[in-house]
Amino acid sequence: MKEQVALQVDHVSKSYGDFRAVDNVSFEVNRGEIFAMLGPNGAGKSTTIRMILDIMKPDTGTIRVFGAPINDASKDRIGYLPEERGLYKGVKVIDVMTYLGTLKGMSHRNAHDRAMEMLERLDLQDNANSKVSELSKGMGQKVQFAVTVLHEPDLVIIDEPFSGLDPVNTMTIKQLILDMREKGTAIIMSTHQMQQVEEMADRLLMINRGKQALYGSVNDVRRQYALHAVIVDGEGNWEGLPGVVQVENAPNERDSKLLHLAENVSTNDLLASIAATPGTNITRFEEAVPSLNDIFIRVVGERVLSTGDVERVEMERV
Amino acid sequence: MNKVWLVIKREYLYNLRRPAFLFAALGTPIFFIAIFVLSIVITSETQRDVADLTQVGYVDNAGVLNAGMMLEDYPDLFSAYPDETAARAALDDGTVDGYAVIAENYMQSGVVNLYSYDGLPENMRSVVDQLITLNLTQGVELGLPQNLVLDSLEMTVQLGEGGRELNDEALIGLIIFPLIFAIVFVMATQFTSGFLMSGLVDERTNRIMEVLVTSVTPGQLLTGKLIGLFLLGLTQLTIWVGAGLAVSLLGRDVEILSGVILTPDMVIFGLIYFVLGYLLVASVMAGIGAIVNSEQESRQMAFFITFPLFVPYFFLVQFLLEPNDTIPVVLSLIPFTAPMSMMMRLGVTTVPAWQIAASIGLLLLTTVVFTWGSIKVFRWGLLLYGKKLRPREILAVLRGNPYAYSDPVIETTGQAVKETSR
Repeated sequence: MKEQVALQVDHVSKSYGDFRAVDNVSFEVNRGEIFAMLGPNGAGKSTTIRMILDIMKPDTGTIRVFGAPINDASKDRIGYLPEERGLYKGVKVIDVMTYLGTLKGMSHRNAHDRAMEMLERLDLQDNANSKVSELSKGMGQKVQFAVTVLHEPDLVIIDEPFSGLDPVNTMTIKQLILDMREKGTAIIMSTHQMQQVEEMADRLLMINRGKQALYGSVNDVRRQYALHAVIVDGEGNWEGLPGVVQVENAPNERDSKLLHLAENVSTNDLLASIAATPGTNITRFEEAVPSLNDIFIRVVGERVLSTGDVERVEMERV
Repeated sequence: MNKVWLVIKREYLYNLRRPAFLFAALGTPIFFIAIFVLSIVITSETQRDVADLTQVGYVDNAGVLNAGMMLEDYPDLFSAYPDETAARAALDDGTVDGYAVIAENYMQSGVVNLYSYDGLPENMRSVVDQLITLNLTQGVELGLPQNLVLDSLEMTVQLGEGGRELNDEALIGLIIFPLIFAIVFVMATQFTSGFLMSGLVDERTNRIMEVLVTSVTPGQLLTGKLIGLFLLGLTQLTIWVGAGLAVSLLGRDVEILSGVILTPDMVIFGLIYFVLGYLLVASVMAGIGAIVNSEQESRQMAFFITFPLFVPYFFLVQFLLEPNDTIPVVLSLIPFTAPMSMMMRLGVTTVPAWQIAASIGLLLLTTVVFTWGSIKVFRWGLLLYGKKLRPREILAVLRGNPYAYSDPVIETTGQAVKETSR
């Protein structure tokens, strides 16, 4: 039986001494979705992941995996790729994989066969009997990924899956992740590569300074940060168009213009005006939805600013 | 349980194939066997028998050979010389291979000096003794069997009330068993718990720990490691004991070992102390392995843990002569010194039942407490990379409040440390 909701994190907090590493965070991850966990270094992502994996206990709040508190059986259904990679160095690749597979409840034979299959898929079949220490960095990363998904887990938690991989290997791993989603696996991906999140993730959670900053579908989040504006390429007297209140160069774009619209004017109205205005030529017309990268920088930047304000206020009081 | 078994299997098989283990487990006995064989070869080459000699002179200053009896086995071997000068002359011109000078006060001192150029066979002395005894007893007509007179030093020792009855060979054996136990206990314990510790340090520095603890609980992992390496220690013991037996069979001096008394109670106590002692040391080593960050560091700390194991050695004489004196009794009650101390005492004396009970009880209690503590420290420490736990933090971990003294840096990167502490 596969549960629709793979993971429920409910009002979870965790402090280290006076430091609140995770502060009242709640989210859900469904089967068959790629869930991105974002946030700057030290935001509390790793702590959250460790609490999900039962390496640490939350101070308050509850975590349910496959509908129940984590137990030995549900641990066997989780695959985890930590950010800090490591395998037994002096041991053969196939032996490490088989051992770690059996620890996840697979039979020895089953683990061995699956490991060979994964190695073939990753084009590493010739390295099955190499020692781990003989692998290149990229090969090691791929083996580690293979170990993570060897037992075909229903919930996969991967931390920076693409770090250290060249574009070809990135493609291979990406395809594996997408295939897993296709099969109904719930995937939590923690990464700083916003491009990958935009391309792959269905929903996201952004944590900043231990607090939940953004949570929702990738498209909703982007729309939430969308300006009431349009990006256009082409020629024309943009200032003269009805409903345009301000024109500026679009950020991070070479020749594009950002047209801010009056509140009562929709993008359709603007498009109509452009079509009706002679001498106006457009090669691009796009709603000004910011990239996740921009949103990330804005969210993190805002928070730093606001925390700074709070500190200043407190100092004045003292 | 199944996962504990997997860890046991992995730890056992992996460490069994390690060069360090093979070297110690096989190399040690091979080394000793080689030395033993070599010494046999060398001695057998140089070894001669009295029967190989043509003539041996003697100068009887005490008059003990006046009866003129000759040994049945060597009727023509000995020839008398009036004084040392004559005997020396006979030796110089090759008439005799050597000569014995029986001291004038032999009856009081028992002194017989042997002279030769090339050395005399090992059994020369006993042959001369036999010759003298034969002549003395024959003159007195005691009518006793000769061997009884010769073996007059045979004695029997009774230990305590209803204790073991021992002859002098058994006395040696009785000292040997506790000593062997002591040596084997310390070596096997140190060796396997050293493996345990370095394995943990390795898994932490290789960062594989984080993957492991998402599959097995720290308790399962530690239990599996403790048992797996205990079995490895047993394997090592079996190899060593087997090799030891082979060596003693190879050599002809099995008589020494025949004195070794392996009574059931000694075996049972030996096993109890071995298991508990190993668990105690190994769990402490595991705790260390979970908090230090390099092999070198772990070795330094391990030294302080294993040092107490050796303490009873310093009081060896006390243990053999006054096994029920204060020091041996106290040492056999202190958990870290108890296994070796109690085994030595059990070998040489009758230990009061309450002391055995108290010793095992204290050891068991300490072992349980330390194993529990090491699992706690282990659980916390295995996720800390590159961070040293200070003593007060270890205490905090044991009290179940590990975060009180920890910086928030444990789960962040160097960059974030700056951010959070700013």
